[in-house]
Amino acid sequence: MPNSSAEEYVRAALALQGYAFDTAQIAEIALQFSRIEAVAHTLLEFPLPWGSQGAPVFRP
Amino acid sequence: MKQALDVAREIRQGTTTAAVVLAQTEARIQALNPGLNCFTTTTFKRARREAAAIDALRARGAILPPLAGVPYAVKNLFDIEGAVTLAGAKINESNPAAARDAHLVARLRAAGAVLVGALNMDENAYGFTTENTHYGVTRNPHDRSRVCGGSSGGSAAAVAAGIVPLSLGSDTNGSIRVPASFCGIFGLKPTYGRLGRGGSFPFVNSLDHVGPFAANVDDLAALYDVLQGPDPTDPACAQRPADPVATRLGTIVGLRVGILHGWFHEWSDAAARRSVDLAAGALRSATGVQPKGAELKSAAAARAAAFVITAAEGGTLHSARLKSRYAEFEPQSRARLVAGSLVPAPWVVQAQGVRQQVYEEAMGLFKRFDLLLAAATPVIAPVIGTETLDINGHALPMRASLGLLTQPISCIGLPVCSAPLWPDGNAAGAMPLGVQLIAAPWREDVCLAAARALEQAEVARVSTSLGL
Repeated sequence: MPNSSAEEYVRAALALQGYAFDTAQIAEIALQFSRIEAVAHTLLEFPLPWGSQGAPVFRP
Repeated sequence: MKQALDVAREIRQGTTTAAVVLAQTEARIQALNPGLNCFTTTTFKRARREAAAIDALRARGAILPPLAGVPYAVKNLFDIEGAVTLAGAKINESNPAAARDAHLVARLRAAGAVLVGALNMDENAYGFTTENTHYGVTRNPHDRSRVCGGSSGGSAAAVAAGIVPLSLGSDTNGSIRVPASFCGIFGLKPTYGRLGRGGSFPFVNSLDHVGPFAANVDDLAALYDVLQGPDPTDPACAQRPADPVATRLGTIVGLRVGILHGWFHEWSDAAARRSVDLAAGALRSATGVQPKGAELKSAAAARAAAFVITAAEGGTLHSARLKSRYAEFEPQSRARLVAGSLVPAPWVVQAQGVRQQVYEEAMGLFKRFDLLLAAATPVIAPVIGTETLDINGHALPMRASLGLLTQPISCIGLPVCSAPLWPDGNAAGAMPLGVQLIAAPWREDVCLAAARALEQAEVARVSTSLGL
């Protein structure tokens, strides 16, 4: 079950990006978004050194 | 089914012809595919042309290319000249046919291999089960009530069933390694950038890999060698010379093996842990060195980074058509795709930063180890339609969780060979569960040499008694 702030975010972001979905579809998308958000928490807590470089084009 | 290299040798020696081999392959497809649903398209007309060209070459006394007359098939996200590239999506059926072969298909054509068709997959490669609503589920050849894995499910099932000796797939988060594990065959996810992706339908550019499947290590290495080479159409393809491995898969005596603990142990069930134990024991015998525990402490963050990047890039790639043709997308993944397109930019930036940190931690591990070992999947192949996985008492959504052990590795682009282990041995109904043999960047030779050691020890094996 997505939390209310996630569902509000999803509604706003869908509107901002020009999607048009019915209530049931929005609920399903919000559920999926909440799953991504739950996984993302692990990521957001990861301490990155200040100024560290990302890997947008990854070349080992 | 014979090994690919045996087929090529027999054609070279004239004990059979490419036309005969092709006819046998067509018969296997007709007999086995209705029950398994590996193929979405067959290319028999092209295959007959290619086989005839090989037989004509031999009749003229020409030197035949390395895979002359060997049948193969590709995941249906690879362009095949004259065919529509589906990438598992009904919405792509109205696209124009491909004007030319994908880079890897062209390389196989030049190597004399004979393309017999395109294989089923999860729509847009966003899945681990090949339960495709539009093109049907591909069933596991070892137990048709179970999934074959995905997203390259058709590619793995076709090799496991003995229909073709070789196939191609792609791996963004585990889509070669998961189906190889579930179907009990060998699969290679090379280093990110090693094999050219030109003419393959994209999913997540910063994570997409392409690679081969085979039923034995010699065939896998030979196929991998043929696939190597520069691809000017793929900006991520590394500017490195080809590094053939097939003739130098030597001894692994002295190889230092690290068994990945922490995340990889926690998310492995009892069967997965048995596969790792079996592999570790065989590697200890082959190397003469006791494997030691190793931990990639940032594995959870790596998996999260892969998950977020996949959601954001994959969702954004399809966002235009999701707005206008949502109903035509795969019901199993369309809401996930839309949700991904809404991911806030700071999460993606953080994910790319984490990725670099994880890579640096892994490089530290490779100062102590030459090879890292982990299970390829948390569990054996689930029954088709399963919604929730129980992994050591944790209930998780099945379709998003089968890549728990593969995502932290592909996130940092390391080469991995998935080798088929059988945690329950030869017991009735036993299912395979593969292990990941992970090496430092560009050391596919180490992965493959370790896989061959497991194969020679008969710990890794491809079952030929499928009861089909």
